[in-house]
Amino acid sequence: MAKSGDKKRGPIATALGRVPRWVYLTAALVLAVLFPLLHSAGLMDMLWIRVAIRSLTFVLLALGLNVVMGETGLLNLGYVAFFAIGAYTTALLSSPSLGFHWSFWPLLVLSMVFAMLAGLLVGLPTLRLRGDYLAIVTLAFGEIVRTVFLNVTSITNGAAGIPAIYTPNIFGWVVTEPPQFYYLILFFVVVVVIALTNVKNSRVGRAWNALREDEIAAIHSGIDATRAKILAMVISAGVAGLAGCLFAYYQSFINPTYFLFMQSVIVVCMVVLGGMGSIPGAVIGAIVLDSLPDVIRATFSDWLPRVFGPTFMASWPAWLQSFFTDFEKYRLLLFGIVVVLVVIFRPEGLLPDTLWRSETHEEDPREQEYTRQTLFDIDEGNQDLEA
Amino acid sequence: MSFEQVFSLTVSGVTVGMIYALIALGYTMVYGVLEFINFAHGEVFTFGGIMAAVVLGWTGVSDAMPIWLRVVCLGGALVAAVLATVGLGLAIERLAYRPLRGRSRIIPLLAAIGVSITLQQLMILVFGPDSIIVPPSVVPAQFVTLFGSRIRVLAFIIIGVSLLLMLGLTYIVRSTRIGKAMRATSQDIEAAQMMGIETNHVIAFTFAVGSGLAAVGGLLVTMYYGSIRFDSGYIYGLKAFTAAVLGGIGNIPGAVVGSLILGLAETYGVGLNLGLLMWFFVAGLAAGLYFQLVRAPKRRLKHIREEDRTPAYEREIMRLYLLAPVYAVRVALAKRTDALMAVSARHALQLTLGNVFLAVMAIVFFLNGHAQIDPQWQNVIAFAVMMIILLFRPSGLLGEHSQEKV
Amino acid sequence: MAPVLELVGLTKAFGGLTAVNDMSLTVEPGEIVSIIGPNGSGKTTLFNLVSGIYEPDSGDILLEGESIAGLRPDQIQAKGISRTFQMLRLFSNMTVLENVLVGMHSRTKTRLLGAMFRLPWVTREEKEAVARAQEILAFFPGRFSGPRQSQPAASLSYANRRRLEIARALAGEPRILLLDEPVAGMNPAESLEVMQQIRELRDRGQTILMIEHDMKVVLGASDRLIAMDHGVKIAEGDPQDVANDPRVVEAYLGQRDAAAS
Repeated sequence: MAKSGDKKRGPIATALGRVPRWVYLTAALVLAVLFPLLHSAGLMDMLWIRVAIRSLTFVLLALGLNVVMGETGLLNLGYVAFFAIGAYTTALLSSPSLGFHWSFWPLLVLSMVFAMLAGLLVGLPTLRLRGDYLAIVTLAFGEIVRTVFLNVTSITNGAAGIPAIYTPNIFGWVVTEPPQFYYLILFFVVVVVIALTNVKNSRVGRAWNALREDEIAAIHSGIDATRAKILAMVISAGVAGLAGCLFAYYQSFINPTYFLFMQSVIVVCMVVLGGMGSIPGAVIGAIVLDSLPDVIRATFSDWLPRVFGPTFMASWPAWLQSFFTDFEKYRLLLFGIVVVLVVIFRPEGLLPDTLWRSETHEEDPREQEYTRQTLFDIDEGNQDLEA
Repeated sequence: MSFEQVFSLTVSGVTVGMIYALIALGYTMVYGVLEFINFAHGEVFTFGGIMAAVVLGWTGVSDAMPIWLRVVCLGGALVAAVLATVGLGLAIERLAYRPLRGRSRIIPLLAAIGVSITLQQLMILVFGPDSIIVPPSVVPAQFVTLFGSRIRVLAFIIIGVSLLLMLGLTYIVRSTRIGKAMRATSQDIEAAQMMGIETNHVIAFTFAVGSGLAAVGGLLVTMYYGSIRFDSGYIYGLKAFTAAVLGGIGNIPGAVVGSLILGLAETYGVGLNLGLLMWFFVAGLAAGLYFQLVRAPKRRLKHIREEDRTPAYEREIMRLYLLAPVYAVRVALAKRTDALMAVSARHALQLTLGNVFLAVMAIVFFLNGHAQIDPQWQNVIAFAVMMIILLFRPSGLLGEHSQEKV
Repeated sequence: MAPVLELVGLTKAFGGLTAVNDMSLTVEPGEIVSIIGPNGSGKTTLFNLVSGIYEPDSGDILLEGESIAGLRPDQIQAKGISRTFQMLRLFSNMTVLENVLVGMHSRTKTRLLGAMFRLPWVTREEKEAVARAQEILAFFPGRFSGPRQSQPAASLSYANRRRLEIARALAGEPRILLLDEPVAGMNPAESLEVMQQIRELRDRGQTILMIEHDMKVVLGASDRLIAMDHGVKIAEGDPQDVANDPRVVEAYLGQRDAAAS
């Protein structure tokens, strides 16, 4: 009878919740499209467009990881491997290094296909394993992929990387300037958001969520767990492959240091912060965490001194000054602390898939006397069946 | 390859395996009581090593000191490192993990990842991104000659110390009250609580012991390789965890066995030539064929319903395992699938694929007998070994086949 | 006519403990068969064998004459056996409606590409599925109306959670429904209501195999009763006869004495 989900919303949240969703989405889309015009109007440095492109790349990665981690509840710690495979495929087939010059669309598809094959390769043997093992095996796989790219120098050029990736030519439109890349990647972000939202609200998405909630019950509802998990893994890998392809074109140079384990962890942080299973959450989490260092640096080294005068920080202790101006050094530390805090105090994330909320908080105490004993299993969430 | 070379490699493999074991025990004990992977354990290990090196630096130990004094400094540094690391481990458990007990599996794992990043970054900020060295004066530089090969004395010290610690741990787990409490808690935490066991204390103790062992491992590694870095924990932690999983996570002897296997595998893998490594695949193939052609069909035969049991049916099951792919296709195409046949066909196919893989590897290695695997692939070997073993034995080598309670 | 479910000499042992020992039983179409027995008698293990969680050591399970032993649980559900769980396994963070829709997984066909592109037949199937789900929920009149369908399952009262689990199982259009302690933890009024609804299901043609401890429900709803103890069938037949069978009484009392000492 008591709706434990409703109890936690404050007045602001309720007011915001009344605005229909499409208003938010349209507003966001309009803002996103108009964003580069700020630069053309001379109001904004090109830097911010670059930041936006990088953030949108992470948005794609977060959306992809959300499918396997947020929707299905599987922890993939080697996610960056799929990103790397997409990027290297594009780089190798569209640069002087191997003498290929594939055109954009076939290469994009191929990058995704290779990433998806890798997802299949990792998923098939490992998805029968318990969730904890899966985390470590995917981590190991990520490392293996990076090591391969680093060491097979005859093809991948090892640590030196692959330079001079050609500019993409899409139906005659040659993409060279950052604003153009921005629109290119924005297009794909919108497509992926729509596609994943459609899947989330369908039989397929429900099957994934069911596996996350209670695998045994899901299996007994007719869901082939292994197939569904592999599908989630493959789809998430495909999105990473897409991101990798676009990334390679934009950077026009890639090397193994772009694909360290830390990148996998950062994407995990983004999905956790944004809200697992929440597509808008993944978008916001990625944008916030990725652009944070630049925003902080700009705020404290640039904007605030302009407003308050160049010496406004002079009275602050040195370490505090360096924290803001040198934020890059502290970025990862902050990520780590944020993840721990979010997971303990607000595990549903910033923009919860509103349903995720109730699991991770305590239940309404009135219900507890009925349910504590018999619902013990539900508190534990996704449990694995080891057959 | 001479015997001396192989022996020397074996000692190296065992040494590094013992170090992995010291770390792996921490992972496996915590998993045993909490069913949780303490991702931050690698950073705890690093912290122990760094603390020991830093404290040694403070003592100003040098070649000028007499040996007994150097040993005292080393001992003091070890004690300091262990205390600091145990404190760290307990703090992490209390602040980051305890609030999350009972939540879904993925949540505590994420917290552990967060703690791991935080610790690593703090270590960079406090101790700097460069390697930290241990003063050479405390590192025994002597060699002994055993069976014709020169082995570092330090290697034996590491093996000896590790064995001692493991024996100590075994004693604690088997014969002390807290050890029994640990075992009870790993079996069933609720039942243990109902028996009056203070599970919070047991868990804290588990973290403390694991962290202490990791600290010793950290010091030994720093001495063996001369230095340690903020990111050493990542690769050691990962390999140690791999070893724990390999042996069956939650299983203490399993962690040691897994660590030794991993240490030997990665040392042999880059140290022996392919001609010798081939024999491992041959052995594996022999075991695999035995399993596929003898044990598996025998087990399957027990499942036949009495009224179906005819010699013809039995022969068909045996043939299924012998000619798996052919039969698998036939069974897949058949309209009325006998459930037992379908399951057997799938099983047989998996086994065949496994054996084919082993055979192919053996042949490839045979054809390249004189080649050696480049050391840069060493980590890949460790991971590959783990992934392959998990493929065939998902609960690890000594792991229990724990059933979900329904 | 072939029995809906037939267990033939089913045996399952865990290490040294034989949880189910040479169990045989049949369930005819349209009847409600209940299994009773003290704790540890192997009832839930039996269900786990039928639903596919465990593979039998020996013996067979036949669904309308077809052997299903060794199949995975999802395959068995697709063939027509749905179950509920003693310890209630709902998808807590999914809505009431979604829980039922998941139950329909094996009766719907939407796959990834169709879902991604929102093809017309997918939208149609979804609409039909939602309508069917609402119909099933309506079987429990007044419990799951309107706005409640969009609430997370975690927010339901305990009794409604049990009902939701039954609804989810029914969504699979099972040939036989396995209910594992459907009224556990409910008060007498709720138990009575659920008992009547179970009878109503039977009247609509649903075959049911039930484990239950509440004797009022067992006697009020069952056509036949089977008693188990230590993995073995100790009595079978008319509910009143079995309930009063001295061996059955002793099995329960024996438990009570052991617990008391």
